[in-house]
Amino acid sequence: MKRTQNIDLGAMRKAPKLFAFKPLAFAVTAGTLIGCSDNSEQAQIFTSADECVSNNPNQVEQCQLAYKEAVDEAVKSGPKYSNADACAADFGPQNCASYTSSNNQSFFMPLMAGYMLSSLVNGGFRSAPLYTSYSRYSPAYGKWTSTDGNLFGSTRNRNVRVGNKAFNPKPAVKRTMSRGGFGSTISAKSSFSGKSSRSSWGG
Amino acid sequence: MFRSIIKQRPNWRESASEYGFTYHTMHGEAYWDESAYYQFSLEQIERDIETPTQELHQMCLAVVDKVVSDQQLLEKFQIPSNHWDYIRNSWLAGEPSLYSRMDLVYGGSGHAKLYENNADTPTSLYETGFWQWLWLEDQVNAGKLSRKADQYNSLQEKLVNRFAQLKLQHPAETLYFSCCKDTDEDRGTVQYLEDCAQAAGVTCKFIYVEDIGLSADNCFTDLDNLAITWMFKLYPWEFMLREEFGDNLAQSNVSWIEPPWKSVLSNKALLPMLWKMFPNHPNLLPTFFEDELQDSQLKNYVKKPIFAREGANISIHLAGKEVYSSPGPYGDEGYIYQEYSPLPAFGDNFTLIGSWLVDDQPAGISVREDKNKITQDLSRYMPHIIL
Repeated sequence: MKRTQNIDLGAMRKAPKLFAFKPLAFAVTAGTLIGCSDNSEQAQIFTSADECVSNNPNQVEQCQLAYKEAVDEAVKSGPKYSNADACAADFGPQNCASYTSSNNQSFFMPLMAGYMLSSLVNGGFRSAPLYTSYSRYSPAYGKWTSTDGNLFGSTRNRNVRVGNKAFNPKPAVKRTMSRGGFGSTISAKSSFSGKSSRSSWGG
Repeated sequence: MFRSIIKQRPNWRESASEYGFTYHTMHGEAYWDESAYYQFSLEQIERDIETPTQELHQMCLAVVDKVVSDQQLLEKFQIPSNHWDYIRNSWLAGEPSLYSRMDLVYGGSGHAKLYENNADTPTSLYETGFWQWLWLEDQVNAGKLSRKADQYNSLQEKLVNRFAQLKLQHPAETLYFSCCKDTDEDRGTVQYLEDCAQAAGVTCKFIYVEDIGLSADNCFTDLDNLAITWMFKLYPWEFMLREEFGDNLAQSNVSWIEPPWKSVLSNKALLPMLWKMFPNHPNLLPTFFEDELQDSQLKNYVKKPIFAREGANISIHLAGKEVYSSPGPYGDEGYIYQEYSPLPAFGDNFTLIGSWLVDDQPAGISVREDKNKITQDLSRYMPHIIL
């Protein structure tokens, strides 16, 4: 046979795509039934390193290190806004701070409200920064949310099961200085054809 | 190889909208045409198309290997000198490629001849990998074609497998897909590749070429200001190298599909180089640079711009006289001269074979028909079978 053996036609159909909020990464609180999915893990949420220590007196060093890692990750990949109002709209007033990066850019970021800590079987751990919003109009109002906008349920919950992807380092958020630096040749060449809609620029 | 008339599937337009094939009719004319199909023998496919395609591809890679380390040749290929290191490094690092399409002159007998290599931004991919595949399924199920009918087309399977391989090098990265605004055909092609990548478990995101941003620390960014680290672009390297963000390419640390070294392959200067390195190869047409034309003894030839798309700015010269030319906006960077080898005619149609590769594996063909001797962007796409 010289052709593709099988194609999943269902996957090739294009139903109209609906707009969706970020999927709810929060699974279930501790103590409830754990599903058969094994790619989720148990995580504890703390609002400070001290709180982590008082809950885990034997793991002082781990609590502090995890906190530091979360702070670093927050700076690297946390939400960044060019003005205070936009930040406040998403995270609430008095919940944003200005920040100046090493290359002298300044922007506004929400304050880290806590961090998520997951213990690994081998004694290691993973941590990730969390935010919450005090703006009643924000989807994250009263909820834990991660650097990429995933919601993890109410801030009253301190024990959560999360997909293990929640701990993956997020792509760094950048401050975009300009757009439109690619694509200019096309507009120059397309005036040639005079067609209202272009055909392919491939070949 | 012959052309057969066949009844069209009664509901194919509904089916097209169901599957999101939006550009089967363009500028009021049919692009997808299933009123006929081409039939090949297995021997024609394997001996005359598949095997030569594999060999031609290896020859093309040998040209890349030579050109990237030769300043004079890089100049002949009209590659801007500030990008020579970038392109050479991409080749030496073995940056992986995804796909390409070689256009072949072939009419059922003799040696297929290479017209050109679309190795950077080939289109008509969805029509080939999926849509003509579905046509065969439907026509066989409807009893219009024999159950024994096959098709030279493992494109979709190979694309999915290739994305799965590429994912191993980018385990946690998002692959961005990109093309220009306002073209349904390009958007459809990119969507198809995204579907294939998704089937391989790759996390995908789309952004238009014009919307790509640049951060102060030289990262390309998406509309959420996230750094782009891995990207498929249906946009020619020869444009990107010359545009405003071109200067930031080397520092931006993006893994591109296709990789920068493809700018050597998709360039028509490839053709005279192939003839120089593999003279008299049965699958090549004698082709020369401008400064070699006089000594070449070429009487009947086609003059093609080094950079051109969709058959623009091509002229045919017979016994020293221009007998045909197509208009277009290209040609500033010079021309190459290829021996005239007309497309085979089937009825009053001129037929061109597109022979696909995924990485270095031959993966299928597309058949295009035109009433003109030069296949242009409004030529019709015809399905094919092997029987």
